[in-house]
Amino acid sequence: MAKAKEKAPAPQVPKPGFKWMNRTNQWDTRVKPGKHGLRLGDLNVGIYGDIPEQWQDQTRNPRGAIAKRGVPPLGYSIRDKADIWADSAADLYEEAIQRRWAPATDVPWETIRPLSEPVERAICQVLTELCQYANCDIETISQWQHQMAYGYHEVKQYLATASFDAARMFEAYRKRALSNGGGLGLEGPGEVNRMILESRGGWSEAVTYLFLMRGTFTMTMLRYLEKYAYNEAERSIYEKALECKARQMTYGLEHLQYSIAHGDERRAIMQTLLFIGDRVWNREMKDHVLREALSIVFAGDLVHAPTEGYAVYKAMMGDFMHAYMDTCKWLGVERNLEMIPASMTSYLFEGAGSRG
Amino acid sequence: MSDTLDMQLDWMDRQGEWGTQASPGKQGLTLADIQVGDYGETPEHSDNMTGRPRGAGARPDSYRIGGYSVRSKHEIWLDNASFLYEEALQRQWSSATDVPWDTIEPLPDDIEQAECQLATFLTEVEFVAGDVPARWISQTTPDYFEPRNVLLAQIMDEARHMDVFRKRALANGGGLMGATGGTAGVVGSIDLARDFTEMSSRLHISGEGAVLTIFRMGEMMAYNDAEKMMYRLCAQDEARHVAFGVMHMRYMSETAPERREEIECYLDEAERQILAGSQNPAGAQAESSESMAILLGGGKDKYDEGVNKLIAIRRRQLQEYLKRVRSAGFGDRFDNGRSPIKDMIAAAAA
Repeated sequence: MAKAKEKAPAPQVPKPGFKWMNRTNQWDTRVKPGKHGLRLGDLNVGIYGDIPEQWQDQTRNPRGAIAKRGVPPLGYSIRDKADIWADSAADLYEEAIQRRWAPATDVPWETIRPLSEPVERAICQVLTELCQYANCDIETISQWQHQMAYGYHEVKQYLATASFDAARMFEAYRKRALSNGGGLGLEGPGEVNRMILESRGGWSEAVTYLFLMRGTFTMTMLRYLEKYAYNEAERSIYEKALECKARQMTYGLEHLQYSIAHGDERRAIMQTLLFIGDRVWNREMKDHVLREALSIVFAGDLVHAPTEGYAVYKAMMGDFMHAYMDTCKWLGVERNLEMIPASMTSYLFEGAGSRG
Repeated sequence: MSDTLDMQLDWMDRQGEWGTQASPGKQGLTLADIQVGDYGETPEHSDNMTGRPRGAGARPDSYRIGGYSVRSKHEIWLDNASFLYEEALQRQWSSATDVPWDTIEPLPDDIEQAECQLATFLTEVEFVAGDVPARWISQTTPDYFEPRNVLLAQIMDEARHMDVFRKRALANGGGLMGATGGTAGVVGSIDLARDFTEMSSRLHISGEGAVLTIFRMGEMMAYNDAEKMMYRLCAQDEARHVAFGVMHMRYMSETAPERREEIECYLDEAERQILAGSQNPAGAQAESSESMAILLGGGKDKYDEGVNKLIAIRRRQLQEYLKRVRSAGFGDRFDNGRSPIKDMIAAAAA
């Protein structure tokens, strides 16, 4: 039986008080569009551009507006600039919007041609693992986003584009795997995904694993996949994915640099995280599945995969390790080679990779 | 390190269904086109705790990465998620370059203040629809990636809404004004929902539904082409978000009838707040309703004319809400005396 309805309220409009009028922290703001339009970063003028080191307000009070008293808090846990900030966030947000793409229509799917079964299986395997990487991006960013205070809205906004980019990547990889007589492969081991998702010590910790470690590896792998793509559709997917990942890396590394600059303890924590992360990473990379699949993709057939394909794989790993170590150095996080698993550092000395 | 790789290739026998050949149609290769074979089979309940893509081969030794709480299809599914996602991708826009900011001219002070107050309010509340879906995405199994992708598109849309209203407030000699606390963390708020459908009924059906009506009538309170475009583009996005809520509620109603009474309670709650609710800019909250009345009337001295238009907007909000809830399969409540909405519409028309 239906509940008894409550008496319908009449459409009252309270007598106007206009108490909100003339209440502003700063008036006479007139930001004009430049040659790239009216960009988010252009708005950072006067008090609207004052980005405090700490943002104690746990409501959705927009930065620069007059806060309302007595509003119950929403529980934002990330309220320190050093825990979230990167100066490039506003620009990356606008760039992501300008470079938007749709896998359905921006990838030339008609260029895909049948491949030999081992090669198709290998490509599908690699794409399956890339799908999981994208899924990890989505879940990691999403679980932190709602904990970020409104005072740093540029970062929240950029991360909205980053998780949407990850959705596109997830979609594009899946579409490719299902469009050429193949299917999805075997799921990945998942240990690194778990490490990234379990980085509950703070957003900067998540950024360390998601962007510095996994991001550097994914970027390297995408570059090689683009080089060894079998058709324009694949090349297009990898190119677009590289653009998206490059923005993620720019934000992530700049944030880590900003974070480290705000305390030596942060640098020491990152060293510890990387010490642990290297071991988790090393265990996952011992899994033969991705290694074999990439070797087949790079060789172009099963026959040459163990030799020529594997040589390219080792060069790729060398490039990854060089990029990873160079980035740590750039961040000022010293890495002692003796403290890194030998099976990782061996790639540094193995081949020259694409560095010549 | 050896120069030759000892290949095992055992994984080739452990992959997902083979022989899949999805082909692009006239809309390109859409998500709907890849719903083939096993890959189109969405389980009623998901035991996928490792985050593997739906249809991929499972490893018994893979780590459990997801603390997924949403693992039943009826909790999040909707039949047209693929369509909404593809449409969202096609209709992305840029507040930097797609809004003709150069058409903004100086306005009388009372109008500019009203514009800035409304923009402050919208800047404040728009990203509730970014924060909250994000939290649910990370709790939803990737077996239901289609609705997750729609929610990811929504977060993107909301970021742009937050941004476009901030831009408007700072573009014409004004500034941000007072926040309203319209999305506080209080019982019954969108943020604190404990269930996805509960959240969706508050966010998509009630909250965004009310805002959609306002965006659709934005031309009535726009003073230049930039504002008209802003409302038009936001309305496109908001319509998708509302459609998500309606279609999900319909699916839930059809597949989990045992939860209908619970959903009726969420709707009771939404209807108690639909006019008075602090997330409705046309509601009874002074900051936003007064500023809207000034904008609709054409100035502070024409406030009463603005109020009449505001009441017309409220009536339309109620009518559209009624249609949506009927479409979602809960229309009985308007005929069996449970809902006050019909009376509210009549009262607003008097």
